[in-house]
Amino acid sequence: MPVDQMTNIPSQAEIVSLKPISGDTTLFRLRLTDEEAARGFTFVPGQFVQVSAPAAGEAPFSPVNPPRNDGTLELCVRSVGHVTSQLHKARQGEMVGVRGPFGMGFPVAEMTGKDILLLAGGLGIVPLYSLLCYLLEHRDAYASITLMYGAREPSALLLRDELRELACRRDMRLMLTVDFAAEEGTGEPSCAVGLLPDLLRGSPVVADNCYAAVCGPPALYRCIIGELLGLGFSDQRILLSLERRMKCGLGRCAHCAVGQLLCCIDGPVFRYSDLKTIDGAL
Amino acid sequence: MTKDFLATDSFQSFIEELSQFGILLGPSLTEDGVPAFIPLGSTADLHIDYRRTLIPPKKYLIPPRETVLTFVPEHGYALPAPAVGETILFGLHPCDLAAISYLDRVFLEDRPDPLYQERRNTITLIGLSCEPDEFCFCTALGTDTPDHFDIYLEMVEGGFRVQKGSPRGEAIISAISCLSDGGGPISPPFVVADLAEQIRTAAEHQETFPESPLWENFADRCLSCGACSLCCPTCYCFDVREYGNLDGRNAERQREWDNCLFKSHGEVAGGYSFRKTRQERFRYRFLHKYLGFGPLRGVVSCVGCGRCREVCPVKIDLLELFQQQ
Repeated sequence: MPVDQMTNIPSQAEIVSLKPISGDTTLFRLRLTDEEAARGFTFVPGQFVQVSAPAAGEAPFSPVNPPRNDGTLELCVRSVGHVTSQLHKARQGEMVGVRGPFGMGFPVAEMTGKDILLLAGGLGIVPLYSLLCYLLEHRDAYASITLMYGAREPSALLLRDELRELACRRDMRLMLTVDFAAEEGTGEPSCAVGLLPDLLRGSPVVADNCYAAVCGPPALYRCIIGELLGLGFSDQRILLSLERRMKCGLGRCAHCAVGQLLCCIDGPVFRYSDLKTIDGAL
Repeated sequence: MTKDFLATDSFQSFIEELSQFGILLGPSLTEDGVPAFIPLGSTADLHIDYRRTLIPPKKYLIPPRETVLTFVPEHGYALPAPAVGETILFGLHPCDLAAISYLDRVFLEDRPDPLYQERRNTITLIGLSCEPDEFCFCTALGTDTPDHFDIYLEMVEGGFRVQKGSPRGEAIISAISCLSDGGGPISPPFVVADLAEQIRTAAEHQETFPESPLWENFADRCLSCGACSLCCPTCYCFDVREYGNLDGRNAERQREWDNCLFKSHGEVAGGYSFRKTRQERFRYRFLHKYLGFGPLRGVVSCVGCGRCREVCPVKIDLLELFQQQ
């Protein structure tokens, strides 16, 4: 199936492996089975795909891996609705459908030469991990790289194996925080207790030459943007990945409108400068 | 010599000749007396002097519910078998023609929708001039002049002046025998409505009337019945649902008309809603109709057909926003 057909018709993808990564979230590794589709499939970190669970329907996901050009993609699927609970029933070797990729991802070319601050809350780590991998693969093109990641509690931190590896790297800084820390796990990457804005407040971030990329639940955006503006970030350099229920991915069904922008074609990655005057965007 | 006149007494033969080119759909009355576009059994059914149908002709381009994909485990997802057969949509007023022109932009520009395209390719649009009533305001929006049709009939003294708007229209006209030459004079355009200037200015300045007390007034009255959007010729929002067959193997994905006045329209995973209140949903509707979304930002999609003003059970009229001082 030619890649341009994947806009309307889901291409078959095999579930290569499944790995539970927290109580309700599973990491899916998929591979497009159609060779032509696999060869042509690529995406920009921050773009999304529509994944179909037969008989349940379709839901949007941002891949968690960086683009590989080999027809593989990884998704973090949290069981919260009709489609995702059906996906959670799937087994290795079964097929799902994939359409896409859709939308605008992170402006990785424009970000070259700059410091990069990634701020992730909860499941918001997904598109930012993809972006981080991309940045690390092109490490020389960017200045300092920092990932700040907050979750409810240590066991809710996703991608822990990957975080452990990131913690050992010297070419980036990883800062973790949790809202509550009742448990004390062994072998966990070290982790602060507090909210993400607290972590940001306590760290020496220089906004002048820096892009901030933020992804998390709506509450995160409301509190973190004030902090970033306070640090001197410009509106254009605060990048936000928004969640909406994209159905068609082609700017038609109109479920994902943010003001007059459409999350599925103008986003899901937006600049704060484009969103700040829109009621209900964040 | 161009054949561009259809005399009133040749009208019936014209309709009969037209029906050789496809299934003829046109304005008529349903069994319970509702004006509607329906298949025309005989010319007696045709209501040529209708004002507006309750449901707009969009139903023939984007059906209220249609299968968009089928799933069988062996082959995955596929488009459904194409609908076959030529269709002639007769008697479209200029506002409804303008609405179809807008839908064409939505569904055919940027990665065309295969099902819409298929239907559009087999439908011939035949327009018909009309007399506005108290609900219409097409003259305020410039949609009173038809520019998107295959054939257009303009009522003149003693019959109709016939215009061709496409090669398809031209082919049909040249094959029809009951036309004569020498059409009557073109009727003068309608008087431009008072609102034209206000709507144009609001669209140009992307005016959202943020401080207007009307939003609260509308939201207090609104019943969220969604009739305004259902009967709007340019409302195309759709929901997508998938249903498993009883065999437990195959499935069908369907899209069906959705409605921005409904609470579920702005929900995301987990139930969080970005448009919880009626007021937010009203503003959303206004934005989409008058200021436009995404690539059609700045394009007014209201065509002034007057359906929403007529059907609203609590007499909400978005035009009041433009009339405020």
